[in-house]
Amino acid sequence: AMSGLRFGHERSLTQIKFNKEGDLLFSCSKDLIINVWFTDNGERLGTYDGHNGTVWTIDIDGDSKLLVSGSADNTMKLWQVSTGKCLYTWEFPTAVKRVAFSPDSTQIVCITEQRMGYQAAIRIFDINREGDGTQQSEEPVSMFNPIGSKPTVCTFGITPNVILTGHESGKVALFDAKTGEETLNNERAHMDVVTDLQLSPDRTYFVTSSKDKTARLHDTRTLRVLKTYQTETPLNSAAIAPGKPYVLLGGGQDAMSVTTTSSRQGKFETRFWHKIFEEELGRVKGHFGPINTLAVHPSGKCYTSGGEDGFVRVHHFDESYFKAKPYGDLEIED
Amino acid sequence: EDAAEESNVSAELIAHRKRLVDEWNAWRAKCRKELGEERQDPKGRGGEQEEQKEEIAIE
Repeated sequence: AMSGLRFGHERSLTQIKFNKEGDLLFSCSKDLIINVWFTDNGERLGTYDGHNGTVWTIDIDGDSKLLVSGSADNTMKLWQVSTGKCLYTWEFPTAVKRVAFSPDSTQIVCITEQRMGYQAAIRIFDINREGDGTQQSEEPVSMFNPIGSKPTVCTFGITPNVILTGHESGKVALFDAKTGEETLNNERAHMDVVTDLQLSPDRTYFVTSSKDKTARLHDTRTLRVLKTYQTETPLNSAAIAPGKPYVLLGGGQDAMSVTTTSSRQGKFETRFWHKIFEEELGRVKGHFGPINTLAVHPSGKCYTSGGEDGFVRVHHFDESYFKAKPYGDLEIED
Repeated sequence: EDAAEESNVSAELIAHRKRLVDEWNAWRAKCRKELGEERQDPKGRGGEQEEQKEEIAIE
């Protein structure tokens, strides 16, 4: 039903992101390199070379000018998308596990890891978009240490100065970016580590994946769980498909299929679930190791998966996929 | 008789799905309304911005 492209890194993928237009695909990996690819043909456009440790996380600004990355080398770097030039490096006492631009691309939020006497921290930086991009402030505009469970994922909420987080304990929470106060939480959003968090295009809801084998859809304002997708395997990533009522889930494989599937075909699958009905609709094979990261094209025309096997796969949905309405003619709002 | 039962089940399922979709669509409409109100209120100015596209040159 789908055509696919496969290209890759030398080591496992950690995060993949499309830019806003969707023509470019950015990937980072344990091989220290960040790559940018043309979505349509998988041709590599360039690299962002300079980290000395696993690159855990990346994000691209709204006009595809700036890229931010976080690494196990205890730095966060700002890059010029068009030239691959590193514009600025922030140094921290511990690894940077997650980064995200604000919706207007004027701020960055990041999580640094808890290690060697350092607490996990969330920092927010103002980004100076004037000039050549190299004049950045070393100091964050705010910094706080979430009490209790360590944060694993973060992004900006709907309204300014609200940070949305997922935690090691399974908690999801909202923080006041200025005071560091936890303003709302759902302690029982998941029963184990939250591994990914991706917002809907208008930020009013988001999907999380967890090692507890479920993915969940949440209301961004209230943190109420709207939907639950119960699988049989620990999940590493979850993404919302714009324009279609689907969520995509990726992780390990079912214990049962370890022995029953040929190891020649990539047996690690992206799972498609109906966003509203909470039913699994299908799976797409293609990786030789767990799926670590998923992203859907902003128009919904294709999606990409990054695996522990080092491969990036882009799947273009064909016409039959778009025409298929397995649940009849109900019109579902995005 | 079996067929009749089956069609009953699927009618139930269809009704159930319709309820789920109605509930979802009502919630989405509420979200849109709230977002619209926030954007009109300068104090609650959200981060969402107008579409801003720029060509990027790749060397």
